[in-house]
Amino acid sequence: MDNVLKTTEMRKSFGKSLLYTLPMFLITFMFITGGKPNFSDPSSGLAMIMVFLLVNVLYFFMHFKGKTDKYRAVLFIIFALSLSYTLIHNMIEVRKSMSFSQADILECRIPFCHLVIPMMILPAVFTKSIIFPGSIISGFANISSMVVLWLVATIVLGRGFCSWGCFYGGWDDGFSRIRKRPVIKKIGELWKWMPFAVLLMVVLTAALSMMPTYCSWICPFKAVTEFEQVTSVESATKAGIFLSLFGGLVVVLPVMTRKRTQCSFLCPLGAINSLSNKITPFTVKIDKGSCNECFKCVYVCPLYALTSEDIKAGKVSLFCSKCGKCVDACSKKAIHYGIRGIPAGTMKNFSRNLFLFVSFLFMAVFSAGSIINTLHGLLKLIF
Amino acid sequence: MTDSLILGLSSGSACLATCGMVMFPYLMAGSAGVKRIAFDLSLFLLTRLVIYFILATLAWYFGQAIFSNPVVRNIVPGILYIVFAIMLVWYSISKNRNPNCPAEIVKTVNNHRLVPILLGIVNSLGFCPALFIILTKGATQGTLVRSYIAFLAFFIGSSLWFLPLPLAGKIRKKEVLTNIGILATGLAGIIFMIKGLTNLIGGIING
Amino acid sequence: MKKAKIIAGISWVFFCLILIIILFPGLNSFSLSVSKLPFMKLNPRYTGGEIADKIISKNCTLVIRKPVFNGFLKERNSGFEQLDWHGTIPEIIKASIDYDHDGIKDFCVLIDRKNSKTVLDPIDRKIKGVLISTPTSYGWAVRIGLIK
Repeated sequence: MDNVLKTTEMRKSFGKSLLYTLPMFLITFMFITGGKPNFSDPSSGLAMIMVFLLVNVLYFFMHFKGKTDKYRAVLFIIFALSLSYTLIHNMIEVRKSMSFSQADILECRIPFCHLVIPMMILPAVFTKSIIFPGSIISGFANISSMVVLWLVATIVLGRGFCSWGCFYGGWDDGFSRIRKRPVIKKIGELWKWMPFAVLLMVVLTAALSMMPTYCSWICPFKAVTEFEQVTSVESATKAGIFLSLFGGLVVVLPVMTRKRTQCSFLCPLGAINSLSNKITPFTVKIDKGSCNECFKCVYVCPLYALTSEDIKAGKVSLFCSKCGKCVDACSKKAIHYGIRGIPAGTMKNFSRNLFLFVSFLFMAVFSAGSIINTLHGLLKLIF
Repeated sequence: MTDSLILGLSSGSACLATCGMVMFPYLMAGSAGVKRIAFDLSLFLLTRLVIYFILATLAWYFGQAIFSNPVVRNIVPGILYIVFAIMLVWYSISKNRNPNCPAEIVKTVNNHRLVPILLGIVNSLGFCPALFIILTKGATQGTLVRSYIAFLAFFIGSSLWFLPLPLAGKIRKKEVLTNIGILATGLAGIIFMIKGLTNLIGGIING
Repeated sequence: MKKAKIIAGISWVFFCLILIIILFPGLNSFSLSVSKLPFMKLNPRYTGGEIADKIISKNCTLVIRKPVFNGFLKERNSGFEQLDWHGTIPEIIKASIDYDHDGIKDFCVLIDRKNSKTVLDPIDRKIKGVLISTPTSYGWAVRIGLIK
C-alpha cells in the first residue's frame, strides 16, 4: 500500500498534466513550425504534425504517469535512429555512398559533431585554430552552432546531455533495453574510469598529430553515420575498428549487460560532461531517511553511476546522466530529481517539473528537425 | 616522437603506481626540505635520462645489425610491437598486477646519496613492456639522432608523472588518477598494437 | 546559509531555464558571436594554407597556396603544398611550380583527369611525393608532400 502511494506521488491528474504540458505545447509549436505551419508539401506538413504530437504526448505522459525514463527513451532512441537515417540518406543522395571522399575533407565539408570538442581544446589554445575539416559557421552541423548547443546543454544539464541531448546515446540505450535480464551482471569498478583514460589519450594524440584522432580512429558511430573511403590498409583498419567497436560496445555488450556500455566505457565527451555535473543546477538526490537500501536503483542504472556504497552515503556519482531510470525504479521515491542547494527529500515535484521542462524542451527541439526529415522521407517512400 | 611521448605519458603513470610508493619514502627519507627533495629528484631523473640515452645507442646499434635484412626489417618490428603491446594491455587489465617494484632492491643500500642514482638505474632498467616497445622503436630508427629523440620523448612523457612525487601525500583521489593512468597504459598498448599490425601488413605487402 | 543556498540554487535553475528557452531562437546569433572568437578558424592543415599566388589562364585559374608546416607547439619538419585548379580545366593539367619563390622550379606535376593519374617530377630534394590528388567541386586539387 505504502509503495503504491509513493509511486503515485509524482503522478498528476489528467487536467493538471494537460496544464503542465501547455507551455511545452506552445513553445514546441513555435520552434517546430516556426509559428507558421506550412502545408504546401503535404508529407512534410504531416511529418511536422506527427513530430509535434509525438513530443507533446510523451511529455504529457511523463506528468500523467509520473514516470520519466520510459518516455524519454522513446524520443531519445527515435532521435538517434532518425539522425543516422538523415545523415546516411543525405550522403547516399549527394555522394552515392556512406563514405566521404578526400575532396570532402579538402573542401572542409565534413559535418561537425560534439564528440570532436574535447580534441579541439588544446589546439584551439595553443595554435588558435580548429583541427577539423568542417565549416565554422555556414551549412549543416557547422562548428560554431554545435559548440554553442553542446556548451549550453552541458552547463544546464551536465552529464544529462548524454541522456537528453546526445544523438548517439539512443543507439546503446535502445540495445540495452532488448533483453529483460542481463547476462553479464558485474563489470570491474576500474572500467568506469575508461572514458577519462580515452579522453586523456585522444586529447594528447589529437594535439600532437593535429588531427581529431577519436573521429579518425575510434568513433563507433562512424558505422552508422559516415566514414573515410576505404582506399588503403590504414583506412581499412579504421573501418574495421569502427565496425568492431560499434558491434561490441553499442550492440552486443548493451544487450548482454542492459547497460549503455559505449557511454560508460568509451565516450570521452561523457567524461567531460561528468565533470560539468559539478556545476549544473539539476542533480539526482538521495533522501537517506526514505531509502530502504533495496539497491534497485543500482541494478537499473544504465551508466554504472550508482553503487551500494554511494546509496549508503546518500550521494550519486558524477557519472549520472539524469535519465530517470533509478527515480522510476525507486518504490520509496527516496531517489529523486533535485536542485543544487535544496536539501534531499524536499521540493521533489518542483525540482522534477523544472528539470523535465528544461531537459525535454532541449531534446524535443534539438531532435525535431531530423525526426521530421526522416518521417518526411518515409512518407514520401510510402505515398 | 608523438607516439613515444604518448607511450611515456601513459606508462609513466603505471610505473608510478608500482614503483612510486617504493621510491617515495627513499627520496623523502630524512627530508630537509623542498631544496633537497628537488635535488634528489633531479638526480633521479638525470640518471634515467643517461640510462635512456645509453639504451637508445645500444638499441640503434643492434637494430642496424639485426634489421639490415629487408625481410627482417619489414616483418620483425611489427611482430615485436604487437607482442609488447599485448603485454602492455595485459598489464593494464590484469587483476594480479604485480605491485612489487625492482626498486625494492634499494632497501639494502645504506648510503643515502647513492639512493636517487640507484633508483634511477633500477627504474629505467625495469624492462617493462613499455620499455620493450621504445627499444623496438629505437632499434628501427634510421639514424642515431632519431633513436635519441624517441627515447627523449619517452623520458619526458614518463618523467612528468614523477614531478609531483614530493607532493604525493597531498594529492587527493590518488586511486582515481592511478586507475586512469593504468587504463591509459592499456590504450597506449592498443595504439602500438595497431601500429604493429599496420607495419606488419605494410611490410608483407611491400615484401 | 541554508536559505541562501536554496535561493542561489533556484536562481541558477531559472537562469538555465531562460538560457534553454532562448537557445534555439538565438542559435544563429550565438553561433555568429562564437565564430568571431580568435581561435574559431580552421587550421591551415585543413584549409590547405593561405593563397600565395594565382595564375589565370583562359578558362581556368591555378591557385598556389603557401606551404603548410603547422604543428602543435612548433612547425613540423614535414608538410605539404596545395594547388587548386578552378574553372573549366583541361583533360591534361601540367604545371611547374616554384613554391618557395627562389626563382627555381621545385616540382612539375602532370595530371591526367580522365584516368585519375598524377605524375610528379620532384626537381627539388624537399619534394616528397603526391599526398592527395582529387577532383573537387571547383575543379581539381593536389597536395604535394614537403620536408623543410
